[in-house]
Amino acid sequence: MREARTGLWAAALLVYLFLYLPLAVVVVYSFNDSRLNAEWVGFTWRWYRVLLADEGMLHAAVNSILIALGASLVATVLGTMAGLAIHRYHLRVLPILVITPVAMPEILLGVSLLLFFIQVLHLTLGLVSVLIAHITFCVGFVAIVVRARLAGMDESIFEAARDLGATPWQVFRRVTLPLILPAVIAGALMSFTLSIDDFVITFFTAGVGVSTLPLQIYSMIKIAVTPEVNAVSTLLMLLTLAMILLAARFDRTVLRGRG
Amino acid sequence: MKNLLSAKDAKKREGKPKNTFWLLKNFFAPLRVLRGQMILTFLACLALSAQARDELHLYNWNNYISDATVARFEATCRCKVVQDYYSDNEEMLAKLAAGATGHDLIVPTGDAVESLIKSGQLRPLEKTKLPHLKNVDPAYLDTAFDPGNRYSVPYAYTITLIGYNVGKMRELKLPTDTWAVIFEPGYLKKLKGRVTVLDSQRELMAAALKYLGYSANDTDEAHWRRARDLIIRAKPYWAAFNASSYIKELTVGNIWLAHGYSNDMFQAQQDARLAGRPFTIAYATPKEGAVLALDSMVLHQSGPRPDLAHRFIDFMLEGKNSAELTNLIGSGNPNRDALQYIEPAIAANQAVFPPPAVQRRLEMLKDLDRNQRRVLSRMWTEIKVH
Amino acid sequence: MTRERLTRWLVAGPPFVFMVVFFVLPALIMVAASFRIPGEHGGLAPLHEHGAWQLTPETYAFFFSDFIYTEIFLKSFLVAALTTFLCILMAYPLALLITRVPKRFRDVMILLVVLPFASNFLIRVYAWMIILGPQGALSAAVNRVAGAFGLEPVALLFSPVAVVVGMVYVHLPFMVLPLYTNLEKHDPLLLDAAQDLGANAWQRFWRVTWSLSLPGVYAGSALVFIPVLGMFAVPDILGGTGDILIGNLIKEQFLGTRDWPFGSTLSIMLTLMVLASAALAMRLARRSLAHA
Repeated sequence: MREARTGLWAAALLVYLFLYLPLAVVVVYSFNDSRLNAEWVGFTWRWYRVLLADEGMLHAAVNSILIALGASLVATVLGTMAGLAIHRYHLRVLPILVITPVAMPEILLGVSLLLFFIQVLHLTLGLVSVLIAHITFCVGFVAIVVRARLAGMDESIFEAARDLGATPWQVFRRVTLPLILPAVIAGALMSFTLSIDDFVITFFTAGVGVSTLPLQIYSMIKIAVTPEVNAVSTLLMLLTLAMILLAARFDRTVLRGRG
Repeated sequence: MKNLLSAKDAKKREGKPKNTFWLLKNFFAPLRVLRGQMILTFLACLALSAQARDELHLYNWNNYISDATVARFEATCRCKVVQDYYSDNEEMLAKLAAGATGHDLIVPTGDAVESLIKSGQLRPLEKTKLPHLKNVDPAYLDTAFDPGNRYSVPYAYTITLIGYNVGKMRELKLPTDTWAVIFEPGYLKKLKGRVTVLDSQRELMAAALKYLGYSANDTDEAHWRRARDLIIRAKPYWAAFNASSYIKELTVGNIWLAHGYSNDMFQAQQDARLAGRPFTIAYATPKEGAVLALDSMVLHQSGPRPDLAHRFIDFMLEGKNSAELTNLIGSGNPNRDALQYIEPAIAANQAVFPPPAVQRRLEMLKDLDRNQRRVLSRMWTEIKVH
Repeated sequence: MTRERLTRWLVAGPPFVFMVVFFVLPALIMVAASFRIPGEHGGLAPLHEHGAWQLTPETYAFFFSDFIYTEIFLKSFLVAALTTFLCILMAYPLALLITRVPKRFRDVMILLVVLPFASNFLIRVYAWMIILGPQGALSAAVNRVAGAFGLEPVALLFSPVAVVVGMVYVHLPFMVLPLYTNLEKHDPLLLDAAQDLGANAWQRFWRVTWSLSLPGVYAGSALVFIPVLGMFAVPDILGGTGDILIGNLIKEQFLGTRDWPFGSTLSIMLTLMVLASAALAMRLARRSLAHA
C-alpha cells in the first residue's frame, strides 16, 4: 500500500514538473538580454520596456478586453436564458444547439462563420464578427453551468412562489436569479476567460487590422521570436493567475459543500 | 453528451452559496476596478483616434519600411500612417478575398498585383500626382503583370536565393552557386538536418523547376510532378519548411543552408555580425536562375484616402526615402535616384543588385488560375505528407 | 396557458434564434459551399453563371481521387489517439492521488493542474519551442545520450514528437478533471471489500477502480480526442517538414490556396469524423455505466 502511494506521488510530481517547467522557462527567458533568445546572456528589463512601448500590442490588448467584455455580457444573458429554458421546459433542440459548438473542434465554427459572414451577411471581418463568433461558443458554457445549478435545486421553491401569485418575472427576479447568481457569475467569468484566450476562432473571423492578444502572440511566434513574446506571456500569466486565485477563493468558500 | 458536460462544469456545479452578499462584495469589487480601467483605456483610445483624423492605411509586409521614413512622411503630410502586416502574398490575397477593406495602399508582389487587377480590386493611378515616377529604372516598369503601370509602382524587390554559413560550406566543400545543394542527396548527405526551405508552394516549386531547367512559371503538370518528386527526394535531409525563422536559425548556427529571401539573408548576416558570431553568413543567386519578387505599391478600391496614398507613393519614390529601406533591410532597389544614398557595401552586393548576366536568369512569378491552384495545393500536400 | 407559452417563448426564443442564425445557418452555408466552384481570385464563383446553376460534387470526387487526403485524416486520427492515450497515462495517477490525499489539499492540487491551463495556449506551445529547441538543455541531454550510443543527433523541435508533446501539454487538464470527478465518487468500502475477498493490489485496481472509472475515462478522452482532431496551431508551430493534420489542411484552403469549396468539404469530413467519435464515446460510456 505504501509503495503504491510513493509511486503515485512520484508520478504526480513528474506530471506537475511537466506542467510547470515550460512556463518557468518562458518567465525566465523574458529577462534574457539577447534578441535571439537562444542561450542565456544576462538579466534585463529591456523586453518589458519594449512591450510597453509596442503600440500594436497595446491596441490588441484593448481589442481583446473590449471583445471579451461584450461577448461575456451577451453570452451570459443568452446562456442564462437558455439554461433556464432547458431546465424549465425540457426542450429537445435547444440543448443540442447551444452545446454542439462547445463540443466541436473550434476550427469548424471559425470556418463556417467566416463563410457565413462573407457570403450571407457581406460583413467586413472585424470587431463585430469576432464578437459574434465568441458569443456563439460562450453561450453553451454559460447554459451548461446555469442548468447544472438549477438541476441541483429544490423545485418546490419556484412552485411556492408561483402559488403565491408571483408573475414569471417576479419569480425570476426574486427567487431564481438570486439562487443561480453564483452560476451566472461563474459563467460570465468563464466566458470572459474563454473569449480573451481564444485563438482559433478569432484567427478565422478577424479581418485585417483587428488584432487580439492571441493573434499578436501567434504572429510574433511565427515571424520574429524575440523575448518580447516571453514578456507579454509573463504578464498575461500573472493576470490570469490573479483571476484564478480570486475564482479559487470563490470556489472554496462559496461553491463549497458539494451536492 | 451528458458525460462531456459533467466534466467541464464539474468544478463549477458543486454546492450552494452560503451568502450572496459575500459574493457580490468579493466579485464585483474587482470587477468595478477592472471597469474603471476599461473606461480609461477606452477614453485613451477615443482620444487617440480623434486626434489623428487624417490617416493613411497601409497594408504592408512585416518589417518592410523604416520607422524613420514613416515618421518623416507623417510630418510632411500631417497625417498618421496606420499599418497592418502580412507575411506572404497568399495570406494577403486570402484576407482581401475574405472581405478585408479600408486599406488605401498595399504592397503586393507582381503575381498578386495581377490577381488584384484581374479581380477589379485596384484603383488606377493618377500619374500626374507622381512626379518622381521618373526615378524608377525602366527595367522594372511596364511589366507583364501590369503593362503600362496603370495600377502599380515598383517599391522594392527581393530575390529568392540561398543563404549559407560560409565556414561550414567551405569546410564541407559544398558549392554555393547552385540549387543542386538544396535538392541533390549527394550534397545534402553532409547537411542533414541543417537545411531549411521556404514554406511556400510557389517559391519552392519555382526553385525545383528552375533546377530542372524549366521556367518558374511552367504549368505543365508533368513538369510539376518532376519537381514534386525532386522535392520529396530531398525532403528527408531538410530540417523544416519555414517562413522566416531561418533568419534566427542561420544566425545562431543551427542551420547552415537556407532557401529564402535576399533581404532576410541580409538580416541574418547583420545579426550574426552584431552578435559577434565566429562565422559569417553569405548569400548568392544560384546559376540556374531564381525568382525575383518585385513588390509594388497599389491603391485598393476600398481605401478612403487615395489622395494620401498618392502622396505616399511619390514620397517613397524620392531616392533618399527609397534608399532608407534598402539600407535597413537589404532589399533590391528599382529606384535609380536611390543608388547614391545606398551604403557602398550593399550597393556592391551582387545578390542585392544582380549584374545583367544574372538579371537575365531571374523570373517573376505569374498568377495561377483556380484549377492550377487546386492541383498545386494537392502536390504540396503530397510533399508535406511523404 | 397562453401566458405560460408566452413566457416560454420569451425565455427560449432569443438564444434559440441566435444559435439558429449564427450556428445552424453557417453550418448549412458550409455544406452548400462545398458544392460550389471557387472564384477565380478566391471566394466563391457566382452561384448562377452562364445560364446554369454552378453546383458540382467535384470537391468530393477530388477528395477521394487521391489517397493522400484519407491518409491525412488517418494520421490525424492516430495523433489524436496517441495524445489521448498519453493523457490518460499521465492524468490517471495524478487524479487517483488527488482523491487519496486529505480533503483540504485536494482543491489546491486540482488548482495546480488548472493553473497552467489558464495561460494562453499559444504561450504554452511556445514554451515547448524554447525547451525543445536545439539550444535547450533537453536537446543537449538527449543528443548526448544518442551520441553515447553512436546515433546521429536528433532534432526535437519541428518533429512529430514535438507535435505530440505539445498536444498532450495543451490538453492534459481536460483529462485530469473528469477523471478526478469520477474517482472522487468511488466508495472506498468497495476496495476494502475486494481486499477482504482476497484481491491483490493490482486486481483491486483493475477490477474495481479502473472499471468504475471508465465513464470518466471516456468523458476525458472525448474532451481530448475531439479538439486534437481539428488542431492546426500546434503542428503549425512545433511540427516539422511532414507534420500536417486536418486542421492545417483546412486552414490552408481558406487562408492560403483560396479554395473555399474544398476547404468546406474537408470541414464536413472532419465534422463527420467528430460525430462518429462522439457517438462512440457516448456508447462506450453508457455501456460501462450499465455494467457498473
